[in-house]
Amino acid sequence: MERKDKYSEDESFRKMIETSKIIAPENLKYRIMHQIETEKVFTSQESNKQVSTRKTTGNVLKDLTSIFGTMYAVLAVIIGVAYFLQGEEFLKSPQFWGTIILVGFIFSLFWLISRLDANMKEKRLKQLSKKNETQQ
Amino acid sequence: MNENQRVQQVLTGNTSAFSYFVETYQDMAITIAYRICGNMQDAEDVVQESYVKAYKNLHSFRSESKFSTWLYRIVYNTAVTQTKSQMWLSTRETEVENAVHIGSNTLEIKIEDVERNEMVADILQKIPKGDALLLTLYYMEDNPVKEIASITGLNESNVKVKLFRARKLFKELLTKHYRDETENVFVN
Repeated sequence: MERKDKYSEDESFRKMIETSKIIAPENLKYRIMHQIETEKVFTSQESNKQVSTRKTTGNVLKDLTSIFGTMYAVLAVIIGVAYFLQGEEFLKSPQFWGTIILVGFIFSLFWLISRLDANMKEKRLKQLSKKNETQQ
Repeated sequence: MNENQRVQQVLTGNTSAFSYFVETYQDMAITIAYRICGNMQDAEDVVQESYVKAYKNLHSFRSESKFSTWLYRIVYNTAVTQTKSQMWLSTRETEVENAVHIGSNTLEIKIEDVERNEMVADILQKIPKGDALLLTLYYMEDNPVKEIASITGLNESNVKVKLFRARKLFKELLTKHYRDETENVFVN
């Protein structure tokens, strides 16, 4: 009997509470979906930016190690050859230091040109992607 | 297609598949948010924010639980954070003391529908937010106590106790504030 009362009371509550359900306004679904679409585009742009930043920093390091690594290797060879052929005195001469500075200058110039080229490419890519965005 | 398959679709990049979840659960989500925020504008904002959160964190959804439970938990947390409200204050005792004593537990509904809707909405506004929320979750969607516990972060026995008190308070306030109209509601 008590169980039956409890059941009917629950049913009464259910009927009453159900009437207080709020119906979401028509535009809410569109608002939500629109924001989700925007978030999706924003997230993909962010991840693209991160990838390109990683790429750029990777390129700079790669350039640095490859160009200056080669420079130090060349310098080491020059120093070794000069030491064995001309002796220790030659290493102190202005001729030798002039050669070393020239080699360093050439490699630095080479690194500078490669960086300028990479920057110009990056700018061109940015301009292209901006154009694409405005067209979309 | 079941909900897990839809979740997988969304995860593979099909954003429009998410609209199913918005359409299916937005009414209940806004009801929960409204119980906590107390006004429609904030409730809408909370629901919108919750759905975006759900979308962003969909990869962390474990299919062992129901999607609705997971979503309602997000709605609950977002609403509580936004309103900075304390959900489980024990202010009801005062209300209970002021309410008239009712002799029977039997509840019968013989009032006109429109009148009843207004009464229920009014009482749900008057009782503490937490109690209104528990009654909504329990009766509106037939959520078992276990799921209500995981939505609200309370433990199961706590939910049972609070639900019992909420029911009692609801009935008492109904009798107190609508004594004339509810002569037929409670049978003494």
